[in-house]
Amino acid sequence: MANTWGYGAMTNHFGDLLGYSKAIFMIGANSAVANPIGFKHMLQAKDRNNAKLIVIDPVYTKSAAKADHYLRIRTGTDVAFIYGLLHLIFKNGWEDESFIENRVYGIEDVKKEAKKWTPEKTADVTGIPADQIIQIAKLMATTKPATVVWALGITQHSTGTSNTRILPILQLVLGNMGKKGGGCNIIRGHDNVQGSTDMCCLADSLPGYYGLGEKSWQYFAKGWGVDYKWLQDRFYAPKWMNAKGFSLAKWWQGVLQEEKTYSSSPIRALWVQGTGISSMAMTSKVQEALNKLDLLVIAEPFVNEAAVMTNKTDGVYILPVATQFENEGVVVATNRTAQWRDRVVAPLYESKTDDEVMFEFAKRFGFYEEYTKAMKMDVVDGSLEVVKKEYFFADDAMNEIARIVKTIGLGGWTAARLREHQANWHLFDPLTLKGRGKVKGQYYGLPWPSWDTKHPGSPILYNVDEKVNEGGMGFRNRFGLEHKGHDLLASDAVTIKGSKIKGGYPEITAGNIEKVLGITLNEEEKSKIGANWKVDFSGIIQEKCREAGVAPYGNAKARTIVWTFPDEVPIHREPIHSPRQDLVRMHPTYEDQTNNFRVDVKFKSEQNAQDWSKDFPTMLVTKRVVNLSGAGMLERTSKYLSHITPDMFANIHPDLAADHDIRDGDDMWLHAPQGTKIKVKAIYSPSVTPDRIALPYNFAGMMQGVDLSANYPEGTKPYTIGESSNTITNYGFDIITQIPEFNAGLCRVEKA
Amino acid sequence: MSENARLKFYCDDDRCIECHACDVGCAEAHELPAGISRRKVITMNEGIIGLEYSLSIACMHCTDAPCEQVCPTDCFYIREDGIVLHDKDKCIGCAYCLYACPFGAPQFPRDGAFAIKGVMDKCTMCAGGPEETNSHEEREKYGQNRISEGKVPICAAVCSTNALLVGDAQKISEVYRSRVLSRGHNHQASASPSGWNSAYGNK
Amino acid sequence: MKTKQILLILFTLSTFAFGANANSAIFGKDLLTNILGYDQVESLHLGYLFTLLQSTYFKPLFLGVLLGVPAVFFIHYMIIGPMIFSHDRKKIYVFSVFNRVIHSIAGVAFILLIPTGLVIMFGSTFGGGEFVRICKEIHAISTLLFIVSIVPMFFMWLRWMIPTSDDIKWMMILGGYLNKRKDPIPAGKFNAGQKMWYWIATLGGLVMILTGVAMYFQDFKIGILLENGISQIDFLRGSAIVHNILGMAVLALFLTHVYMSVFAIKGAIHSIVTGYKEEEEVEILHSTFYKELQEKGLIKEDKK
Repeated sequence: MANTWGYGAMTNHFGDLLGYSKAIFMIGANSAVANPIGFKHMLQAKDRNNAKLIVIDPVYTKSAAKADHYLRIRTGTDVAFIYGLLHLIFKNGWEDESFIENRVYGIEDVKKEAKKWTPEKTADVTGIPADQIIQIAKLMATTKPATVVWALGITQHSTGTSNTRILPILQLVLGNMGKKGGGCNIIRGHDNVQGSTDMCCLADSLPGYYGLGEKSWQYFAKGWGVDYKWLQDRFYAPKWMNAKGFSLAKWWQGVLQEEKTYSSSPIRALWVQGTGISSMAMTSKVQEALNKLDLLVIAEPFVNEAAVMTNKTDGVYILPVATQFENEGVVVATNRTAQWRDRVVAPLYESKTDDEVMFEFAKRFGFYEEYTKAMKMDVVDGSLEVVKKEYFFADDAMNEIARIVKTIGLGGWTAARLREHQANWHLFDPLTLKGRGKVKGQYYGLPWPSWDTKHPGSPILYNVDEKVNEGGMGFRNRFGLEHKGHDLLASDAVTIKGSKIKGGYPEITAGNIEKVLGITLNEEEKSKIGANWKVDFSGIIQEKCREAGVAPYGNAKARTIVWTFPDEVPIHREPIHSPRQDLVRMHPTYEDQTNNFRVDVKFKSEQNAQDWSKDFPTMLVTKRVVNLSGAGMLERTSKYLSHITPDMFANIHPDLAADHDIRDGDDMWLHAPQGTKIKVKAIYSPSVTPDRIALPYNFAGMMQGVDLSANYPEGTKPYTIGESSNTITNYGFDIITQIPEFNAGLCRVEKA
Repeated sequence: MSENARLKFYCDDDRCIECHACDVGCAEAHELPAGISRRKVITMNEGIIGLEYSLSIACMHCTDAPCEQVCPTDCFYIREDGIVLHDKDKCIGCAYCLYACPFGAPQFPRDGAFAIKGVMDKCTMCAGGPEETNSHEEREKYGQNRISEGKVPICAAVCSTNALLVGDAQKISEVYRSRVLSRGHNHQASASPSGWNSAYGNK
Repeated sequence: MKTKQILLILFTLSTFAFGANANSAIFGKDLLTNILGYDQVESLHLGYLFTLLQSTYFKPLFLGVLLGVPAVFFIHYMIIGPMIFSHDRKKIYVFSVFNRVIHSIAGVAFILLIPTGLVIMFGSTFGGGEFVRICKEIHAISTLLFIVSIVPMFFMWLRWMIPTSDDIKWMMILGGYLNKRKDPIPAGKFNAGQKMWYWIATLGGLVMILTGVAMYFQDFKIGILLENGISQIDFLRGSAIVHNILGMAVLALFLTHVYMSVFAIKGAIHSIVTGYKEEEEVEILHSTFYKELQEKGLIKEDKK
């Protein structure tokens, strides 16, 4: 999504959906189960505004049960489906022509692709009846504003990146972007996932989505008050500083070295903090890798089942870390807002907070001073200086983030402002997020971008009808000024309210600021100003932009063409393991990939290795259950939550079960193309059709039929254990992000 | 709340998504043994397109409570605000209240040898029992007493989608009625589940 | 370490012992179907029926039986008085050791079951709580004694308990208890009154056992009932209704039997202790039986 218009986060928010959306298009998401409170907003929208809820899902989920329209789609065919809609939209002239003309680049290529996707062809590929496709296209075209909601059902595919581009394209075509009740509302799941995304705990960027280039590192060196060379020397060799690391999906290859890796060395030690790696794909490979490590450290409040999967008897350490209730600081919600959280109780027993763990180890590893220096710094007269002797966590950490992260406009996220919001929850309106009284003019949680400490936050992204200083903006100028002779800036008709500049403008740099804003800088300003708006510690660029009512990141067109990607416009590609060999020939997957996140990834060679659908005829869908989250290590230690799903299971249609002589409640084996298998309980359900099964991914503690109970440290075994679905989710990774293809794959059912 | 208020539950089956917040919340708040769910969530027509719906059920605190009518030891008492409670010390675990209840609210934890039925346990609308309010005994036997603190019963308080309503019967009717009117129907599949008349009379 | 494991296992196992899981016949997946069924036209409406009967009728009716039957017999005793038979003639051996042992076990069982059953019934009078709970458990445990005695009793006396034409005649004269004369009464080894009590005690007793056990164990599945559309809860409601109504009959006939054997016929109780009946008693009260014995030449000289 970021590649379409600049930022890859939820563009509107739940209150907005409730207040204004007339149609909610939910695809690849199951909010009733994954975000019940969020789903409440959708139900309220249905009740109050007669909003139509459309749910597109391979399984008839709890969300689908509340839908006005339910469309059963074949996994991995989302791009085809959206093209089916676009085909009809263009054919009937339902697109928002002026919006496209002024704010979108590349629509012709999309139109060309959409032309192929007639309702009949779309129905053949997706499994959704043609008349339903026509009905939904008309509904979306004529119901404004409409919002699109999605989650991991869209991203967890080998074509995840295409999926997350085609949906913004749909909204651009319908003219639903930057409007109340519209937008692309990608729902983040776990509490503070958005925060960890913003801090980029990923292998391919620095915090705040800064890249790994030299300029970024120098900026951070400056912001952290450390020597750039010292940072560089932390790496084995300078080139590794700018190279992506291993991904969470395939780190194990770095240990096992069964295929070629592109790294300075194999991985010998693993430190896991705050994630359940048993909820990652290829669990059997993860297990092998864990066994081969020299050192495994797990820092968690509960026993992370990674510790249980491994048969290592030495070199495995579990550090007890505090829970959210024992911590203080900021969490970021799915709608880009920050909320300050108080500590309820001091860390119990021997557990320590995450920060304490990290600082203690930093001391022992010898970089504590460098690690904590920035928390004692501030900008004084446009330059960075150390201003205090002791830091105060978490306020100083938050202020450090606000000072450094400019890309997503966290400049307004000072601890003082966020604490004030927390103290005055009651003064904010739930539908619009607007504050009153002493917080008048601010939006709750200062949804980013909040460019500076005067900025109220931006609840709805890309809304040109609001002043920049009150939360408005156009699309980001992130992809250059022109492409193939086409101007990438917004047209003259797109003037942001209150802006000094008419029409589109580029992102502000030291080089173009005078020209673009029509101002002159004095000598002092010229000496202090940063190279561009992202790296300007002096604050001068933001100051001048504020005066001009201009968004520092520019006002450009959204693009449907991503010229750096294998597919310039999204196209449909069958999942790696597809039940339709005929479609595999017509819509094959990508060529095999060399060196992404330090590993090679198979695409075509895996898809064509054999006709998988012969031996593995049943489609595999993984799903959420409401009482378990992530790897389930927390919830399965609660007796009440475990009671709701006491066994690992798979939902199977009675007809499919009958074919294999499996009764309701019997055990069955599920075999995967890569040779692994799991034993789960069969639960009859008509929510799946006989060509697919659905299973939750939140269990661990059993591996391919082997009970790992003995591995749990005494007294820590959860109430329920079971197979991890990821032991059989198929080999497949997204071409750009390397996220595993959890949500499309094949398996074979067998009576146990 | 007016002096004439009668407290009731109502679960809006167009909102209930079987998230189990109510039954888990109740079990946690009152520290119930696993398996005794004072409140249960049931889904009908699961997986059948257009017909699936879910409901949260517990004691309905009926005005003419049949449980109270049949108890051989007269251990029930109905408060002025309509909450139906019972005295576990008097209860002999004979299960007549279960036979009389249209909603299956009374339950009997099996404790002791030979799976002997223990005394009856049921939803108290978070109003405790005959022991002294907020005393240790009351909490041990009946769970929290939130009503005495002016708090909403925990199940309705944690309901994710405001499906479960609790409060003065008049007010609940108003809320539900306004939802039904704006939706244009009161239940996806058919008219309100029968048996509800027993609990709610002709409101 | 071992104790912890054991405790863990026990705990996990005990979770299965508790009710209200998905496998429960009452509280499981069928809960809502049963609730919906409560009010439907086609349902048995046992819930309504049970509530009505238990709240309004059972207690007064039981009280009526408990007080009325002895009252009637008291009046009978005052007006008509007991029957007295000579003890000087022969003694006839009518009850074997086996008969007597079984009968005494049954007697003990009844003496436990009936008062405790009444205590449960009138629980509020006894203040509920621990005392009544203990009575309930005694009531349940005595069932074992009851089963052990009633089943042999059924078979050991079955031959003589089949209804005959004598029984109709007996009924018409009310067993001859309405006057003081000693006319021969038409009856076999057992008269119609005894037969009524026998059938209520054995077959009725069996029904009491089944319904009582159903109520005791409460949560179990009976396939054949479910297939015929009777839910577990309706089965329990039906059991409660039957148990109570039949209980009234058991109580009434038990009281009658006690009156007859202890008060109405002087010395009758000795026959179930020693096994011997007075010859005159048999000659008068079981005249048909006496004639049979005479024909077979079984009237022996007394053994004393």
